[in-house]
Amino acid sequence: MKILQALIKKEFLQIIRDPSSIIIAFVLPLISILIYMYGINLDTVRVKIGIKNDDANPEISTLVKSFGHSKYVNSVVYDNENDLAKGIVRSKLKGAVIIPNDFSNKISKGQNADLIVITDGSEVNTANYVQNYSMQIVNQWLMTGRYARLAKPQIITPEIRVWYNQDLNSHYFILPGSLAITMTLIGILLTALVVAREWERGTMEAMLSTSVKKIHIVLGKYIPYFVLGMLSMGFNVFMCITVFKIPFRGNLFVLFAVSGLFLFTSLGIGLLISSKLKNQFLASQVSLGIGFLPALLLSGLMFPINSMPVFFQHLTRILPPRYFITFIESEFMAGTVWEIVIINSIFLTILGLILFAAVYNNTDMRLIK
Amino acid sequence: MNTVEIKNLTKNFHSTTAINNLSLGIEKGKITGLIGADGAGKTTLIRLVTGLLLPDSGEISTLGFNPSVQKSLLNPKIGYMPQKFGLYEDLTVIENLKLYADLKEVPYDFDKLLEFTNLKPFQERLAGTLSGGMKQKLGLACTLLGSPEFLVLDEPSVGVDPISRRDLMKMVRDLITPETTVLWSTAYLDEAHSFDTAVVLDKGQVIYNGNPHELAETPQEFENKVIELMGGYKKEKSLIAENYVPHKTDVECTVEADKLEKKYGNFYAVKNNTFCIRRGEIFGLLGPNGAGKSTSFKMMCGLAKPTSGTARLMGIDIIQNPEKARSNLGYMAQKFSLYGSLTVRQNLEFFAAAYGIKLSERKKRVEEIINVFGFSDIQEQKSEDLPLGFKQRLSMACALIHNPPILFLDEPTSGVDVITRRDFWNHITSLAKKGVTILVTTHFMDEAEYCDRISLFYKGEAIAVGTPAELKQKADAGNMEDTFIKLIKESEKE
Amino acid sequence: MIRESLRRIFALIKKEFITIWKDPKSRGIIIGLPLLQLLVFANAITMEVKNIDAVVIDRDNSVESRELLSRFEHSPRFRKFYYAENEKDLKEKIDNQKVQIGIYINNDFSSSIKAGKPVNVLIIADGRQTNSASIAGGYASQIVTDYNNEINHAKGAQINASLRNWYNPNLEYRWYILTVLVSLLALVITLLLTALSIAREREMGTFDQLIVSPLSSFEILLGKTVPPMVIAMVLTCIMTLIVVTAFKVPFAGSAVLFLISIFVSLLSIVGVGLFISSICKTQQQAILGVITFQMPAILLSGFISPVEDMPLFLQYLTLLNPIRFFILLTRGIFLKGMGIADVTLNLIPLLIIAFITLSLASWTFKRNLD
Repeated sequence: MKILQALIKKEFLQIIRDPSSIIIAFVLPLISILIYMYGINLDTVRVKIGIKNDDANPEISTLVKSFGHSKYVNSVVYDNENDLAKGIVRSKLKGAVIIPNDFSNKISKGQNADLIVITDGSEVNTANYVQNYSMQIVNQWLMTGRYARLAKPQIITPEIRVWYNQDLNSHYFILPGSLAITMTLIGILLTALVVAREWERGTMEAMLSTSVKKIHIVLGKYIPYFVLGMLSMGFNVFMCITVFKIPFRGNLFVLFAVSGLFLFTSLGIGLLISSKLKNQFLASQVSLGIGFLPALLLSGLMFPINSMPVFFQHLTRILPPRYFITFIESEFMAGTVWEIVIINSIFLTILGLILFAAVYNNTDMRLIK
Repeated sequence: MNTVEIKNLTKNFHSTTAINNLSLGIEKGKITGLIGADGAGKTTLIRLVTGLLLPDSGEISTLGFNPSVQKSLLNPKIGYMPQKFGLYEDLTVIENLKLYADLKEVPYDFDKLLEFTNLKPFQERLAGTLSGGMKQKLGLACTLLGSPEFLVLDEPSVGVDPISRRDLMKMVRDLITPETTVLWSTAYLDEAHSFDTAVVLDKGQVIYNGNPHELAETPQEFENKVIELMGGYKKEKSLIAENYVPHKTDVECTVEADKLEKKYGNFYAVKNNTFCIRRGEIFGLLGPNGAGKSTSFKMMCGLAKPTSGTARLMGIDIIQNPEKARSNLGYMAQKFSLYGSLTVRQNLEFFAAAYGIKLSERKKRVEEIINVFGFSDIQEQKSEDLPLGFKQRLSMACALIHNPPILFLDEPTSGVDVITRRDFWNHITSLAKKGVTILVTTHFMDEAEYCDRISLFYKGEAIAVGTPAELKQKADAGNMEDTFIKLIKESEKE
Repeated sequence: MIRESLRRIFALIKKEFITIWKDPKSRGIIIGLPLLQLLVFANAITMEVKNIDAVVIDRDNSVESRELLSRFEHSPRFRKFYYAENEKDLKEKIDNQKVQIGIYINNDFSSSIKAGKPVNVLIIADGRQTNSASIAGGYASQIVTDYNNEINHAKGAQINASLRNWYNPNLEYRWYILTVLVSLLALVITLLLTALSIAREREMGTFDQLIVSPLSSFEILLGKTVPPMVIAMVLTCIMTLIVVTAFKVPFAGSAVLFLISIFVSLLSIVGVGLFISSICKTQQQAILGVITFQMPAILLSGFISPVEDMPLFLQYLTLLNPIRFFILLTRGIFLKGMGIADVTLNLIPLLIIAFITLSLASWTFKRNLD
């Protein structure tokens, strides 16, 4: 026990004296929260589109105006189709709407009128927005404007309700979700070098000839960084809830309990890299290579896991952030749903234990050369 | 009763044999010195005895335990100080002591140790800011915690000045009990001569095991005998010097320090250092660890910016025209600083090219160097895997590869075996005769005798400059080591 | 003079190649990792929402309501349907994330249709994953609208969208993600190669050895720039070939312009990497520096969320972000066939970034001596 205490104390002293650990634990998350808060927006995307009106009917100018009034669209009127095309190539415009010359004529006759919608297919997401927004604006115009009585009445209308996030504010799920990405990074970065460093500096050799046991070395690394990681988590949650006013409907105790499990897995990844490679250079390279992108792209935060091919859906099962994101989004927005808490906790525990066992097995008590 | 009993021990690394069918007993209660050429297997043997490495075949019994399977029982009874002792540089002196006391499960009883190491006033200093000698003392203090039954020290005195070296020896002798067994690997043969037993290793085998005094009466004779045992050293004409093409110059002082000063805050690391080294002169910079030798060195080759003053190499100012000045320089750093992941040959080729040697000449030059330094067998090995002595040789080779008129050697012989040291100095003196100007630091006082002139450095200042004979006369001492200690002590009184 | 200088630079380049290339682990990380990530990400990532599971309450239980539900069942996007007994059951299914969508049909559904009265179908989306929720909700309402059009025989005007998706007629998400991934992975690997290189030499003490040699700052810089450039260029080309051949994404633009663009983009990233490396004393600091740059650079590149949508301050900040222009160029040349004038316009900021970072790096070599 005394040995473990001494190792933990040593690690804390090193943490305090080395500003980089503190930067990783508190400055990095702050930067990331600010970016996710202000730089990323998945709901009310404002797209810039060009409009070309070939219909001479003055009534159509109200349609062009409707585009100008929409809060989702930033419209620019063009007279020349060439300029419009240039704007799209340069990504200045995300799409365009062309009103054909027989547009009002067909509506007046109660027929189907075509509206040409051009999108920049190289950006698939925004292309979809251009489509949807344009059609919404046009239909709205048709239903409420001068032509309302000519419009075909609608019988069945879909009414969409979004539970837990009625106003579809994407920050409500991105910010909690981003905590999973940040905590993955923190867990890996804090620990990826700490074992490799001891081998390179020769402190491991001296330590191995004392009464230290394997479990002391392993726990002596896990515990201090776990504490630091949890402090960082607390800081993150505090920032999200109080400063950025993200609604939290769950239970703080449950939140921190599951966060603890998640941190346990992240630290395991970093420590495994470090004890396996025993070389700061390689350990840095691996953690840089795998630390960020898989967690961001495959965890379900940005892209739905359900839509992946089955093989890749299974592949995401080895990614701890996947479970944590599901949990934390639900905990923030829907409150504690025990089934979600329990299933994800079980998976995190299993992953954490596997990683712990791997770290333990890869902790050498002897030199190899 | 023997503390260590080894029978038919063999250990291979890949294709090389480090320990070859070795049998040895280490007597309880005695100090046993472990000496041998670079790569003879000293460190490997020590690691096998402590259980840090597993043997390929053979038996080891340390304190009655088998280190391969009973390491955890053995550890609490051993005090092991690795070559690169694992001090935590970002922990203070006292924190390091407390940590190792806890790891060894012994009480915090540091008074005696702090007193012996003279570290008492520096308890709150970070270990990383201590001088080399103090670090080694602290490392030894950590190793001595809990009065281990068996003390294993792997070259504790490498890179340590004579005063600190005496302190280390005194610490061990005073702090152990009569029952304690000590296994002490060293490159200093005067140290080994003072031990109860000397074990000489060569190519992974024991070639001598017995009382050093039986082998020779004086340390000097002992050195010669050991050299004989290890195959003897025949002074040959230095091929490097033979092939050296002298540079013509009219500059009087080929290396010149002009009022060099380095200040950190209010503290002078180097104060008003001025000297002039003539062509073909060997100029020695001597002094205790932390006296400012390395800082002077770094300023001389432009690695550190002086607070004031300057240095000139072949008359070219190092501050105004650093690249041109440095092209005249061969530099060997104190710490091994070649590319570890490159092989010996690749390192040589790289430095040859980095100094602008033509491709056609480069091949010839690299071959030549490989021959002269005896790298033929290891030229394809990664340099980080080499034993310390070979690393030093490679550093020296890289410094010489471009035939420079000036050589800066910062502790070139630390960690190098006695034969290689003689060989090094043979090259150095022969090169000087050919007109190479040499600035060198060393902690081996016998080597100081090779220098034409010596500057004794203490607390950032040159306290004495002169030929070895002049200095000895000044201190009224018989050898350089006593001269060194006397002059330093005198300066301290003032 | 110049020949000597070239000799020195070449030696440094060779040494860098050996250090990077010799260790099989390091080789695996540099070549294997990005290619593996390309394959995994390209196959896994999609914005289309598929395999939607839904929970249904059909209070009407009429021909019409069953007809509507069968439209859902036949949609390729929907997978499983649970028929719930009551609201509590429905809520539980959604709470536990067993389903992503809830459909509620009230008991006046068929009667209203027959009477030609407007009626609503309630679609509930799980807002915890707002992104896919709104997309799935969109699909569901599209199905309802289609059904409406089918049974609605009333006369009147309607507006049809005549869609033209330029450059990517079927709006295949993979085309988009692949062109972005090439840039992202090139960024990660280039930073990895450069950011540690000087910090590591400093930590090992070999940098002193370089400084003492006659190599000038410029020569060291060149020696440190060329090897990662070559490796990253080769890797980016391999990735592009995979994208064109294995994933069959049409390459619309000029290959020469593309090569020039990735060259300049990579150069600017090498500059950033070397600059980070030159100001760091240890590898730990370097890795921290890389993450602090890489994370915002990726998130604010326009890949996740459009640059035009960010606050003005962040938009200006992205002008310093090489990855923003890199993505714009790869996508623009690859899919849109961007011409020389537009390419040049986007190359200018990259060249400025490269020039500034590389100059700073070389300046810091000298300054950091003590």
